[in-house]
Amino acid sequence: MSISPLPGDASNDPTEDQTGRFVRQPNGRVRPLSPHLQVWRWHVTMASSILVRVSGGALSVGAVFVVLWLMAMAFGPDAYATFTRLMGSPLGLFVWFGLTVAAGVHFANGTRNLIQDTGAGLTPKTADALSWAAIVLGLVIPVLFWVALFATGKVVL
Amino acid sequence: MSAKRFNKGVKVSERHGAGEWQAERLSSVMLIPLTVWGLWSGWIMSGAGYDGAMEWFGNPLNALVLAVTLMISLWHMNMGLKVIVDDYIHKPASRNALVGLIAVVCVLLAAVGVFFIVRLALGSAPLPAGFGA
Repeated sequence: MSISPLPGDASNDPTEDQTGRFVRQPNGRVRPLSPHLQVWRWHVTMASSILVRVSGGALSVGAVFVVLWLMAMAFGPDAYATFTRLMGSPLGLFVWFGLTVAAGVHFANGTRNLIQDTGAGLTPKTADALSWAAIVLGLVIPVLFWVALFATGKVVL
Repeated sequence: MSAKRFNKGVKVSERHGAGEWQAERLSSVMLIPLTVWGLWSGWIMSGAGYDGAMEWFGNPLNALVLAVTLMISLWHMNMGLKVIVDDYIHKPASRNALVGLIAVVCVLLAAVGVFFIVRLALGSAPLPAGFGA
């Protein structure tokens, strides 16, 4: 029986891991890099999770904008004209575009969260696919919405 | 301390954690159809001006669903912002102050928002009519 040149049972060394990064340890063994804040590779499940929180924060500002819209309506045609002029300016449209993107991302990724809360879709491959799908859908829906708004002339720059 | 309780092999939270978790999910599920409806309503009212929006508010169902959507959204927002504060602010005094402030802001937004919606639904004269002006 040959003696392994390295301590430990090399056959138990993982060949694949969550981070995809390996380090050669001082004893020569190649081991997966342990997760750490500064070396943790950006991962799509992490990104989609963070996006839920960030977009939720943005939507909190959006709630104030919605109440401002209601206020402008309640104060009558003149106030509403001022409001729509401000919100129809390039900066205003940019803000509302951002809010719809935040809504789309929060909606799609929140729905992904609800699916995964049932215990489904938590294996690495499915979780990755769900995260990508949620991020892409969350961006595509608001972009299409605005393309349609401009195409039909409902909104003009 | 009471004995730990289990449901299907999973420990039941001893205080209010599970209730908060369920409330977050309940509000999320309710907001799924309401968000789609909100997008549709935004489509209808975009570029329609004051008259178009007033016509939309003329349908009591629209006003009712909007009020419900606003309240559930702010409830959901209150829980979400509270979780962010709970996660990052560790000093109890600061945390409690922030959580309290967030709750006050959410309740105020809901109260003011519903007040405007009710006026618009009832076709009340534009503000500040009736408020001394």
